[in-house]
Amino acid sequence: MLHGGHLLSVVIFFPAVGALALLLLRGDDHKFIRVIALIVSLAEFLFSLLMIRAVPIGAAGYHLEEYLKWINQPPINYHLGVDGISLFLVILTTFLTPISILASWKSIEHRIKEFFVMLLMLEVGVVGVFLSLDLFLFFLFWEVMLIPMALLIGIWGHERRVYAAVKFVLFTMAGSIFMLIGIIWLYNASGTFDLPAIQALLHTPVSQGGLELAPRTEMLLFLAFFLAFAIKVPLFPLHTWLPDAHVEAPTAGSVMLAGVLLKMGTYGMIRFCLPLFPEASRRAARWVAVLAIIGIIYGALVAMVQPNLKKLVAYSSVSHLGFVVLGIFAFHNISMQGAVYQMLAHGISTGALFLLVGMLHDRRHTFEISEYGGLATPMPKLAAFFLFVALSSLGLPMLNGFVGEYLVLLGTYQRHWGWASWAALGVILSACYLLWSYQRVFFGEITREKNRTLPDASAREKWILVTMAIVTLWMGIGSTFITKRTAAATQDVIDQVEPQRAYEASAPHVSVPLAKNTSASAAKAALSERLGVR
Amino acid sequence: MLPRAIDAYRVLPELVWCGFGVLMMLMQPFVRSRHFFTFLALIGTLAGTAASVTAAMHAGPGFGGLVQSDSFSFFFRLLVGAVAFLVVLASGPYLERERLPFAEFYSLLLFAAAGMGVLASAQELLTAFIGLEMSSISSYILAGYRRDALKSSESAMKYFLLGSFATAFFLYGIALVYGASGTTMLVKMDSAELLHSTLFELGLAMILIGLGFKVAAAPFQVWTPDVYEGAPTPVTALFSAGPKAAAFALLLRIFATVPAATHFWFWAFWALAALTMFAGNLGALVQTNVKRLLAYSSIAHAGYILVAFAAVTSMAQGEGGAAKAAPAYAAVLFYLLSYALMKLGAFTVVSQLGGTGEKNLSLDDYAGLSQRQPWVAAALSVYLLSLLGLPVTAGFFGKFYIFKAAVNSHLLWLAVLMAINSVIGAYYYLRVIVVMYMREPSAEAAALGPVSFPIGVNVVLLITVAGTILFGVYPNPVIQFILQPTLLGR
Amino acid sequence: MPTYPMLEYLWIVPLLPLLGSAVNGLFGTKWPNKIVNLVAIGSTGLSFLGAMEAVREFLDHFAQNHQPFHKIFFTWIAAGNFRADFDLQMDQLTVVMVLVVTGVGWLIHIYATGYMAHEGGYYRFFSYLNLFMFFMLILVLAANYVLLFVGWEGVGLSSYLLIGFYFLKKSASDAGKKAFIVNRIGDFGFMLGMFLLFKTFGTLDFVQLFSKADPWPAETMGHLGTFTIACLLLFMGACGKSAQLPLYVWLPDAMEGPTPVSALIHAATMVTAGVYVVARSHILFSHSETAMLAVAMVGCATAFFAATIGLVQTDIKKVLAYSTVSQLGYMFLACGVGAFSAGIFHLMTHAFFKALLFLAAGSVIHAMGGEQDMNRMGGLRKKIKWTFATMLTATMAIAGIPPLAGFFSKDAILFSAFQNSGGQHLLYLVGLLTALLTSFYMFRLIFLTFHGKPRYDEHHVHVHESPWNMLVPLAVLAVLSIIGGWLAAPALWGGPDYFANFLAPVFGSPAGPEAVSEGAVGAHQLELVLAGVAVGAALIGLVVAYWLYLKRPGKADGLAHSLKPAYTTLLNKYYVDELYAAVVVRPLLWISANVLWKAADVGGIDGAVNGIADGARAIGDGVRHAQSGNTRSYAVWVVVGAIVIIAVIFFWPANGKPVLGLVR
Repeated sequence: MLHGGHLLSVVIFFPAVGALALLLLRGDDHKFIRVIALIVSLAEFLFSLLMIRAVPIGAAGYHLEEYLKWINQPPINYHLGVDGISLFLVILTTFLTPISILASWKSIEHRIKEFFVMLLMLEVGVVGVFLSLDLFLFFLFWEVMLIPMALLIGIWGHERRVYAAVKFVLFTMAGSIFMLIGIIWLYNASGTFDLPAIQALLHTPVSQGGLELAPRTEMLLFLAFFLAFAIKVPLFPLHTWLPDAHVEAPTAGSVMLAGVLLKMGTYGMIRFCLPLFPEASRRAARWVAVLAIIGIIYGALVAMVQPNLKKLVAYSSVSHLGFVVLGIFAFHNISMQGAVYQMLAHGISTGALFLLVGMLHDRRHTFEISEYGGLATPMPKLAAFFLFVALSSLGLPMLNGFVGEYLVLLGTYQRHWGWASWAALGVILSACYLLWSYQRVFFGEITREKNRTLPDASAREKWILVTMAIVTLWMGIGSTFITKRTAAATQDVIDQVEPQRAYEASAPHVSVPLAKNTSASAAKAALSERLGVR
Repeated sequence: MLPRAIDAYRVLPELVWCGFGVLMMLMQPFVRSRHFFTFLALIGTLAGTAASVTAAMHAGPGFGGLVQSDSFSFFFRLLVGAVAFLVVLASGPYLERERLPFAEFYSLLLFAAAGMGVLASAQELLTAFIGLEMSSISSYILAGYRRDALKSSESAMKYFLLGSFATAFFLYGIALVYGASGTTMLVKMDSAELLHSTLFELGLAMILIGLGFKVAAAPFQVWTPDVYEGAPTPVTALFSAGPKAAAFALLLRIFATVPAATHFWFWAFWALAALTMFAGNLGALVQTNVKRLLAYSSIAHAGYILVAFAAVTSMAQGEGGAAKAAPAYAAVLFYLLSYALMKLGAFTVVSQLGGTGEKNLSLDDYAGLSQRQPWVAAALSVYLLSLLGLPVTAGFFGKFYIFKAAVNSHLLWLAVLMAINSVIGAYYYLRVIVVMYMREPSAEAAALGPVSFPIGVNVVLLITVAGTILFGVYPNPVIQFILQPTLLGR
Repeated sequence: MPTYPMLEYLWIVPLLPLLGSAVNGLFGTKWPNKIVNLVAIGSTGLSFLGAMEAVREFLDHFAQNHQPFHKIFFTWIAAGNFRADFDLQMDQLTVVMVLVVTGVGWLIHIYATGYMAHEGGYYRFFSYLNLFMFFMLILVLAANYVLLFVGWEGVGLSSYLLIGFYFLKKSASDAGKKAFIVNRIGDFGFMLGMFLLFKTFGTLDFVQLFSKADPWPAETMGHLGTFTIACLLLFMGACGKSAQLPLYVWLPDAMEGPTPVSALIHAATMVTAGVYVVARSHILFSHSETAMLAVAMVGCATAFFAATIGLVQTDIKKVLAYSTVSQLGYMFLACGVGAFSAGIFHLMTHAFFKALLFLAAGSVIHAMGGEQDMNRMGGLRKKIKWTFATMLTATMAIAGIPPLAGFFSKDAILFSAFQNSGGQHLLYLVGLLTALLTSFYMFRLIFLTFHGKPRYDEHHVHVHESPWNMLVPLAVLAVLSIIGGWLAAPALWGGPDYFANFLAPVFGSPAGPEAVSEGAVGAHQLELVLAGVAVGAALIGLVVAYWLYLKRPGKADGLAHSLKPAYTTLLNKYYVDELYAAVVVRPLLWISANVLWKAADVGGIDGAVNGIADGARAIGDGVRHAQSGNTRSYAVWVVVGAIVIIAVIFFWPANGKPVLGLVR
C-alpha cells in the first residue's frame, strides 16, 4: 500500500492507530507504553520520508493525491496532496514527534498513557493540516488539533497551565471561527471547497465560467483567513497567548508548539491567503510587512529583558516568525524560499532550545535565569550544546538559521530595501538576547549551591541533542537538498500573486477537473450576483 | 363527515402514544412492579415511533387537512419518539432514587410526546394549539413532579403561569389571523392581499410571540433557567429536546406555507436571534451550577437556530424561494437532531451525577471526574465539544450548516455575531472540561467514590455519544433525507 | 594526478584546522597535553605547508595563464537567481593573507603550547584556536561575499569563545559578548551592502561582480550612488571587525583573552579582515570618491584617537591593544588614499611586529607571574634578555626606525597620504603626528617595563625567562620584523617596489609612491624627505619617552598632574564606553522592560484581551441578576418583549434592505 496511492492517508492516520493501540494497553506498564509510542512515531517518520521520492524536483503542483467523495451536500471531499512546501513541514512534524517523546521519557510522571496518546493525536491533526487540499478538511484538522494541544498544556503543564490552555484555545478559536465563515463564503462564490479547483476557477477568465471576486469581498475573505493564521503564527499584536502557552506547556508541548504549530499559520498564508486572494494580499502586503517588522524588533527587545528563560525563547519565536511572514509578503521567490526554509530551521533550532530549557528545568524545576549561573562548570556538555543551538538560532553561517534568514532578507531587499533594512536589525538583537542569556545561565562563578552538583547530559539527552545538532549542521550546509525541492512550489505561489501573471499562469497542475463541480458552478451562477461576485 | 381509516393512519403515532398513556393510568392502581411500567413505557414510545413509519407510508393531509403526514412530520415524530424513549430509559433510575411514582410520570411523558407529534404535523392553527396545550400541560405537571422539593413546585408554578400567559398570546394571534384571512388552515393563507393586511401581520406577531416563548427565545427566555433548574433533570432533558423541536417544527411549517410570514418576520427573527444568543451565552458565562449552565446554553442554541430562521425568511422570498430556502430548513432540522442528542446526553449525565435530591450539581463536584470516572467524563466531554461545535461531532456540522445558511442569505452580521457567541460559548464549555480533566477532585468528592451508572443510563449515553460522533463524521443520510424536495409534502 | 594537486584540493588547507578543532574538542578532554599539542600544532602546521605548496602551484599557474585560480567545490545556497557556492580562489592578495595567517598562526600555536601549559581547559583552548584558523582561512580564500561572510562571522564566533575563555571571570565573558555584538552591528551594514550589490549586479561572486562593476562610471564626491552606499555599508562591517571609530570599543576589552589569542586574533589576523575586505573590494571603492575619503578619514582619525589613549595606559596589553587600533587606522588610511598595496603591506609587517609585541608581552606577564601593570614592573631587561631583545626589535619596527619592517610600510602609507590627499595634507600631518605618538608610547612601554628600578616585590615574584617553545616563535618573528619590509626597500632609492609589483595583478598598476618610482626623480626626492621627517618624528617620540621615564622619573606624574583633565579623559578612554552605555544600552533595556514588555505587552495587549473577557463576565452577571426569579417581573419581561417584537415587525422595512452597507 505504501507504493500505491494511500501513502498520505497512512502518514496522517498511522499515529492515530498507534494512539488507539496505546489506549488498549494497560496504563501501569510505563516503560512499555513509552517504547510503543516511540516505535510508532519512528515508523511514522520513516513513512513520511517515503514521500520525498514522490515529489519530483522542479515540478510544481500536488503529488500523491488522494480523492474520495465524503459529503454530497455541500460537496466536501477527502482530498489530500503534497507539494514541495508541505513535504518538509510534514517531515519536520514527524521528526519532532519522536524527539518530543524521548524528551518526555522521564519528565512526565503521571497519566503517561494519556500523554503519549495526546502527542500522537496532535501529530495526526498537524500532518492532516499540511496535507489537506480541501478547505473543509483543512479546517477540520485545524480544529481537531486544538484539543490534544490544549490538554497537553492543561494537564501536564506547570503552575498556571489551565489559564494558558484556555487562553490558547480561545485565541485560536477566535480566529478560526471567522476562517470558517470565510471558507463558507468562498464556497458560495466558487461552489467548491476544493483548493486546486478554486485556484483553477480564479485563473479562468470569467467569460469561461471562471471566478473573480469583487475587491471588497476578496479583502474580507482574505482578512477572515489571515486573522486565523496571524493568530497562529503569531503575528504582533496577536502574540500574547504564546508566552503563556510556552511557559506553562511541558517540554514536548513547547517543542511541538514552537516547532510545528506556529508553522501552520505561515503555511496557511502561503497555501491559502496568497493563491486564493492575490489582489487582497497585494493590497495588504504593506501592512502585514509592517506588523512583521514590528514583531521582529519588538519580539527581540522583549525577549532580551525576560527574567524567565522559557519566555525568552517564546518571544524569540515571535521575532523569528516575523522574518517568515515578511519573507512571504515580500512576494519575491528568494524571500519566499527563505521563508519556507526559515520555518523548518526555526522548527529545529527553537525546538532544540526548548529541549535544552526543559532539561535545565528537569534538574532545577525553575525557568528563572537568576536561579542559574555558572552552569558551564558542572555541565560542560549541555553548555556546549546550548551554545551551538543558540548560535544556529542567531543565524550563524553554516548553521540552519542563517540560510533562511539571509534568503528572506536578501529577497525582501530586492523589492523593498526599507523593509529588509529594518528587519535586519533583528540580526543584531538576536545576538544580544541569546548571548546575554547564555552568559547569565552558563558563565561566571556558580551562584546557587544547588547548581554545583547538577548532572551533565545523560545518554538519552545526548542522543536527542546530537540528533538535533546534526540536523542543524546539515541544514546549514546542505540547504540545496531542501531548496531545490521547494523551489517549484514557492515559484508557483509567486506566479499566482504577481499581477502580470494572474492569467497566464492558468494553474496547469490542477488535478480536479471542474466537471466534478457542476452543481457547484450552478450554485455559483445562482448566487453570484447576491454575493457581489463579478 | 367521519374520518376515514387513512386519516387514522396519518396520526397513528399520536394515537399510539396517547393510548399507552391512558393504558398506564388505568393499570397503575393494580400493578405494583415499577419495572413493568418502565417496560411498558419503552414499548409505548417504540411502538409510537414505529407507527410514524406507517404514517409516513400513508403520506398526505389527514382529517380534511387539519394535519399533514409527510417526511417533515415523519422526521419530527422520529425525533420526538426517540427523545421520549431515551428519557424513559434515563428516568427509570432517577424515579427509583427519588422515590417517585412511575406510572403517572410515564403517561404524562407519553401525552407530551403525542402533543409534540400533533404540533409537528399540524396543518391548521387550532390543531396546532391543541398539540401545544397537550404538550404544555403535561410539561407543567412534569416540571413539578418532585412535589416535595420546593424548587420543583416553584418551577412548575412559574412555567404554568408564564406558559398560559404566552398561550394567550398564541390564541389571540390565531383569532386575529382568522379575522384577517377567514381561515385557520395554513394552506389557505397564501392570498396576495394578506401581504398588506395589518391585522394579519399583528396576528402573526402574536403567534410568533407565543411560539417564541416555547422555544425560549429572548426576551421570552426568562422562565427557562428557573424551570430547567427546578424540574427533575430527566424532565429538563425532555424540555430541552422535545417541546422546543416541536415548536420550531410548527414555525417552519408556517413559513413553508404562509408567504406573509416570511414577508413580515425577517427583522423580528434577526432581533430574536441576536438577543437570544447573547442572553444565553453571557448568562451561562457566570454559572457555577452545571444544570443551570446547560439551561442557559440551551437558550444560546435556540439563538443559533433562530439565525437559521432569519436565513429562511430572507431566502424564502419571492418565486422559487422554497428551493433556495431548502438548505436553511435543512440546517434547522439537522441542528435540532444533533442538539437533541447532545443535550439529552449531557442532562442524563448531570442527572446521574446529581445524586439523590440532586445535590451535586455545582462545578466543584465535577473536579477530577476524569480520574474517578474516565468514561463518563469522556462522554460528557463529547457532548460539550459538540455543543461547542468542534469538528467530528454532530454539533459542528449543525453549526456549519447554520453558518452556511446565514452566509448564503448574506446575513454576514448575524454570522459574525454567532461567531462571537461561539467563542464565548467555548469558554464556559471548556471550563467544565477543564474542571473534569485539569483539577484534582475535592476531598469529599474523592471520598464519595464513583457514582453508579445503571444499564439504562449507559445505553442512553452510548446511543447519544454514538449518534453525536456518527453524524459528526458522516451526516450524509440525514442531510439526504432533510434535503429532499418533497419534505413538506409539496 | 592533476597538474596542481594542492590547488585542486584547496579545501584541505582550511579543513585541516577544522579537523584539529573537532578532534580536540570532542576527545581532547581525556587526553594529556602532549597529544592535544600534536593535534593542534600538527593540523595548523600541515595547513601551513599545504598553503605554501598551494602558493607555489598558484605562482606557476599564474605564470602560465595570467588568471587568479578559482574553483567551485559545491553549491551551498541556491534560491531563484541567487546562488552562493562553496568556492575558493587564489590570487596575489590571497597569497599574502594565507601565508600570514597560516605562518603567524602556526608560530603562535607553538608559543601557546608553552604559555597555556598550566591552564585548565587546555584542549578547549586549542580547539577554539584551530576553529579560528579554519574560519580565517575561509575568509581569505573565499571567492564570493557570502562565503567570505561565513569566515567573517566565524572568526567573530571564535574570538567570542577565546575572549571568554576564562568564563568564570565576568569581565571576560562580558568582553566576549561585547566583541560579538559590536561585530554584529558592523555585520548589519555588511549584509545590507551585500544585498545592495546583489540587487545591482545580480551576483555576489567576486570575479563576476567586479567584472560587471568595473565599466560603471565612478561616482564623484558627495554623490550617493550605488557604489558609495554599498561601499559605506561594507566599510561599516569593516569598522566593526577592524575596530575603527566608532565601533573600536570591543578591542581593548578583548585583552581579557589569553595573550596568544590577543596576538593571533586581535593583532595579527582577524582584526585585519576589515582591511582585507576593503582591499578585496577595491574596484568598488575606487568607484566612489566619497567612500574612499570616508575610509581615509575614519582610518586617520582612529589612528590618532587610539594613539592618544595609548599614551597613558598602564596595562601593558591595553597599550598594545590601542596601538593595534591605531595601526589598523593607518592601513585604512592607506586604502582610503588608494594605496591598497601599501595598506596590505603594512598589514603584513604589522602582523609580524604586533604579534611579536604581544607574545613578548605575554612572555613578560608569564615571567612576572601574571602581572600586567607596568607600574609594578621595571628593570626586567637583565632577567629576561631574549624577551627584551625581541620586544625592543618589535618596538623599533612599529616606531618606524629604519631599516626595520615598520619603517618601510609606514613610510609608504604616509607618502601616499601626502600625495593623494587632494592638495591639503591634513591626513598626512595627522598620520605623522600619530607616528610620533606611536614611538613615544611604545618606548614608554619599553622603559617602564625593562629599565629603571624594579617596582615589584622581588621576594614574591621570581622573574624567569620563558621556555624555548615560547622563545623560538619570538625569535622567528623578530627576524621577520626586521627583514619583513625589505621587499619595498629599493623603492626608496628609485628601485622597484617588489611588494607592490607582486600585488599589481590585483590592484592594478601600482599607485602612490610606486607609480612615482618609475622615473619621476623629484618624487622620490620628496619621498626621501618625507621618510626623513617620519624618522625624525619617531626619534622625537623616543627621546621624549626617554627623558620622561628614565632621565626624570616622576616628571611624567607631574605632567599628568598639571594636565589633570586631559590626563583623566585619556585614562578613561574619552568615556566612550560610558557614553554608549548611557545613550544606547541602558535606555534600550529600560524601554524594552518597562514600555514594551510591562506596559505594551502585559498591560496593553493582554490587558485588552483580559478586559474583554472581564467585560463579558460582568454583563453575564447583569444577565444573572435580571434573572430575579420573581414571576411577576418575568411577566413584565414577556409583555415588554412582545411590544418590542411587534414594534420591530411593524416599523422595520418589511424585508431587510442592506444595513451598514455590505450586509444585513
